[in-house]
Amino acid sequence: MATLALRGVTRSYLRRTEGRGRQSFAALGPLDVQVGDGEFVALIGPSGCGKSTVLHLLAGLDEPTTGQVQINGQPPRELQTQQALGIAFQEHALLPWRTVEGNLRLPFEVAGRTVSTERIQELIALAGLNGFEHARPAELSGGMRQRVAIARALALQPKLLLLDEPFGALDAVTRRRMNFELERIWLESRPTTVMVTHSVEEAVLLADRVIVLTERPGRVRVDTTVPFARPRPDALMRTPEFHRLADELTASLEPA
Amino acid sequence: MKPRSLLYPAIGCVILLCTWEIAGRSGAFGKTLPALSQVLRVYGVGPRRALLFRSTAATLGSAAIGYAAGACLGAAVAILAHLVPVLRGGLDRMAVLVNALPVIALGPVLIITAGRQGTPAALASVPVFFLLYTSTAAGLRGASRRLELVFTTLGASRWQRLRKLESVAALPSVLSGMKIAAGSAMIGAIVGEWFGAPAGLGVVVLNSMQNFQIPLLWATVIVIAAITLSSYGVLTLLERAARRRIG
Repeated sequence: MATLALRGVTRSYLRRTEGRGRQSFAALGPLDVQVGDGEFVALIGPSGCGKSTVLHLLAGLDEPTTGQVQINGQPPRELQTQQALGIAFQEHALLPWRTVEGNLRLPFEVAGRTVSTERIQELIALAGLNGFEHARPAELSGGMRQRVAIARALALQPKLLLLDEPFGALDAVTRRRMNFELERIWLESRPTTVMVTHSVEEAVLLADRVIVLTERPGRVRVDTTVPFARPRPDALMRTPEFHRLADELTASLEPA
Repeated sequence: MKPRSLLYPAIGCVILLCTWEIAGRSGAFGKTLPALSQVLRVYGVGPRRALLFRSTAATLGSAAIGYAAGACLGAAVAILAHLVPVLRGGLDRMAVLVNALPVIALGPVLIITAGRQGTPAALASVPVFFLLYTSTAAGLRGASRRLELVFTTLGASRWQRLRKLESVAALPSVLSGMKIAAGSAMIGAIVGEWFGAPAGLGVVVLNSMQNFQIPLLWATVIVIAAITLSSYGVLTLLERAARRRIG
């Protein structure tokens, strides 16, 4: 499976400034994080702290300015070529002209692997979309579309699953339901997972470990283990332990 | 479509046509504006009808050849520019240059190179090439950034990305270009016929003007307008269908 290591990672951008040409500004780091095999890590932090940048670095979509990002001791692009990476974005990441089934077939087509109808049916069942095989994304609700996106990310049984605000565009009720759905789906294969989220509750409910970043440039402010056993019942959200942890994390999000 | 959205344009057309008929009969604009009924009578005259059929076939043939050649070439060059970014700046400039050339000025050059027979098709292909180059290039660049990222993380090859994502996402834009290019191809073919083509609607327009056959001139113009409008209409429907499916 996959272990992740970020060592002394920074990311800075060149920005045009008035009259003075270009100036470099730091968006992230320095950041040192290790993630163990099969761990589910939630990444939270104030807006603009570089959470999504971390995800892009892990996906090999961006390069660190200094430092090193390694997955199983190799650069992240290796994972792309091994087709061992699953990623799901907030929204608008399905092919609008393909049906649910067609979207779920895409990873197999790109990987040049033949896929059985049974495997596609399995994925459709995993997403809880039986009967919607032939619906196109525009005909689905936001929650259904995200389940397709997550099922697609898991289609090739990736070593690493990256989730960028997967439920950020959903209403509160749907979001809550999707959190439990995601845990159920995730428990089937338990890939190493990094999820960026704005919601502290979502982080505590889903993750084995929550990392809070500081404001820009994002560094680790809090790195805490979530002690609750899985699968987590929705009654967990009404326990004092859950609230204590969520309150602590919320407090740590306030600027120092 | 709602009945009302058809009703108002229909009323407008009827008013316009009636005005034409009355203005023509009254002779208010002299002999150069004949009444509509007089123009329509041209279609009933056997030899005239045969002439228009023959000419329409010739012009449609040239326009279609120019349209197909210009569209294929424009789209192919746009795909090349998309796949080889180094070439893009140069090809963009070349397309702008092609567009800046007045089609009329190309006529004599083409007569020498493509011949009288080939000039209409060649002139038709020039604006079509430019329109398809720009619309295809814009369409290929227009695929959603998130989807591009998904393809990258899946480890897709350049070819897979083009085939499964960018070319499909480009379709509405390409069809929009083809819609506008249809009219341009007709203009190019007709202008091309003015440089001494043996047959075609452009030839009939020119001859009937010079011989003062005013009703025939108008009848030919109506045929040209009908061809242009119907091709525009069909391609509009195709584009809409594509936008609905591809979004």
